[in-house]
Amino acid sequence: MMRGMFTLATLASVIFFPWPFSAVLAFASASLEPLVPLAAGLLADTLYYTPYAGALPVFTFYGAVVSIVAVFVRSRMRAGTIS
Amino acid sequence: MKKTFLAKRNALLSFANISWGSLALALAVLALLMRLLVPNFFWRMTAPVFRIADSAAAQSHAFFASFTAATILTLQNEKLLNENAALANENQALLQKVAGQGALSKQSTKNIIAGVIARPPASPYDTLVLSGGDTSGISLGQEVFGAGGVPLGVVSAVLPDFSRVALFSTPGMVVQGWVGRSNIPLTIFGSGGGAMKASLARSAGVTVGDVVSVPGPGALPIGSVVRIDSDPSSPMVTLQIQPVLNLFSVTWVELRDTGAAFVRAFSWATSTLP
Repeated sequence: MMRGMFTLATLASVIFFPWPFSAVLAFASASLEPLVPLAAGLLADTLYYTPYAGALPVFTFYGAVVSIVAVFVRSRMRAGTIS
Repeated sequence: MKKTFLAKRNALLSFANISWGSLALALAVLALLMRLLVPNFFWRMTAPVFRIADSAAAQSHAFFASFTAATILTLQNEKLLNENAALANENQALLQKVAGQGALSKQSTKNIIAGVIARPPASPYDTLVLSGGDTSGISLGQEVFGAGGVPLGVVSAVLPDFSRVALFSTPGMVVQGWVGRSNIPLTIFGSGGGAMKASLARSAGVTVGDVVSVPGPGALPIGSVVRIDSDPSSPMVTLQIQPVLNLFSVTWVELRDTGAAFVRAFSWATSTLP
């Protein structure tokens, strides 16, 4: 339930709130759902990206970076047996 | 012996295995595909959501503003009245100047009014999404003006019913302009968040409060110098420019072709504009 709420809030914030708020929510969601920052970045660039602002859609890029870091951290923190 | 039931599940399509993150990503990819393949339909679908966001923002702003102390408002009102009187005088002088320039201009201009669907700070790239497009007569490269004829940016993409505007404050945006009463030429760079900056020789003598203009019909003010960053070891200073209009509360804009002067000033910066 918590994961769903965080995910929906992050995506909705891309439209309803200033981007720094969306970024904070995406960071917070990353610990629960690593793909959410990438999804939020992609949605932000879908809505607002213009080639005039540069060749790179920076929000997708940063979202992907945060998602990769989140996946890596979660894989390190996963409980396991020490052999 | 306890009997164990094993539910028959489709290994490929099990909703239990689909995470919220995957769903969010699928939704974002779907939105991206729609924007790429059927952009006009995409904006038709999203425009009502942006309008709801706008009205929600306006209501929340009014709610929080009601907590502001009356004394602060009175002081602010007094200050604004003084500023208004000063601006009225300056405006009068400028109107006379524009009337003189207008007489020289033989070119007729057709103005188009369009509503703003999305604006900064929700839009992180300092872009505006307008509820008017090709069918309203909007075309690529038109200059966009706010209330009072203040230049805001340039049309960067046009769809049948929607268009996108790159503001002068868009990071990467470069436009030629002038600063001060003696119209010193300078190159203005967008730095995001509604702000712009420019570099100029220290000897130019620019001061805080000097007006920055861009080509339009004549030279139109887009902002003023709010801070001058200088390094003693450098002969150059960096001017931090604040726009005249609050870009975060622009609700409508006016569009028109401002002729060769503006296109020339802008095309120096980017080759993507036709």
